[in-house]
Amino acid sequence: MTAGESAQSPGMKFFVAVWIGLMCIVGIEVLVTYRHPAPRVLLAWLLVLAFVEAGIALWYFMHLKYERAALAWTMLPVLAFVIFMMDQFWPDAFRMVSMRLLQR
Amino acid sequence: MSELELSAETGHAGLMEGSPYGIPSGKLAMWCFVLSDAVTFSALLFAYGYLRVGSPDWSTPFLFSPSIVNGLVMTFVLLSSGLTMLASVEAAKAGHTAAGTRWLWATCALGALFAVLHLLEWRRMIEEGWGLFRNPTGGSTEFGAAFFCVTGLHLLHVVGGVFALAIIALGFRRGKYNRIDVEVTGIYWHFVDLVWMFVFPLVYLMNAK
Repeated sequence: MTAGESAQSPGMKFFVAVWIGLMCIVGIEVLVTYRHPAPRVLLAWLLVLAFVEAGIALWYFMHLKYERAALAWTMLPVLAFVIFMMDQFWPDAFRMVSMRLLQR
Repeated sequence: MSELELSAETGHAGLMEGSPYGIPSGKLAMWCFVLSDAVTFSALLFAYGYLRVGSPDWSTPFLFSPSIVNGLVMTFVLLSSGLTMLASVEAAKAGHTAAGTRWLWATCALGALFAVLHLLEWRRMIEEGWGLFRNPTGGSTEFGAAFFCVTGLHLLHVVGGVFALAIIALGFRRGKYNRIDVEVTGIYWHFVDLVWMFVFPLVYLMNAK
């Protein structure tokens, strides 16, 4: 495989099937929302579904699956690390709520 | 693709050592941009979450109709534009310039429709009294700041993408741009799709009444 050539893509029929799958996931998100679970439970559901959706879009729509594995192995760990680092700030947000409630 | 064709497409790069990723430098640059932009949107969504957690009187103003229904229609339009973009890339790869250009224009039109729907949603909210620092329900004003910043940055990406698609469509038809340029634009457009997959559930559904 030379530069500029990706592995053979599976064709439009497959991509239409993926698109239908993505729309179904969006439908599930709305259904879950209107079952009115607790906010934490809803957030967990929506995040899992959004990551599944994003993974499918990245893999098939953005053709990452059809590129060399080195590309995914270079990019994804970097993004995961940055997101993991951002995830460390939550305790401060909870601290803010506590402070505000204490002032009342 | 032969080495000769590759040289014609990539210039001197075709005579140099191959890319370790097996892709042209333009495509690699777009992947790097997408990576950095993903970090930008992640930071913005984290900031939104941080504000929400830190505000005891956070508003959840979105009724099923019109807000969530409008959001669903916008999602349908944007995901469909991803499909037309794929059709354009497939046609460009197969050497069907006319079909590739048509699908690019279709993507462009769907992107523009998404932007119009988004602006109509904004107008409705602004008329209700929402603003960057205004909350008509009397709750936290940070909701408006978070909502307009997150959706505004995404809308900016959509509008930028629509212009980029139009430029590529015009150039591709005239032979100024090749299939790799279409593919690179496609990566950007699918990324805009991908960001919306987080914005819709986190900003709309999490704030549904």
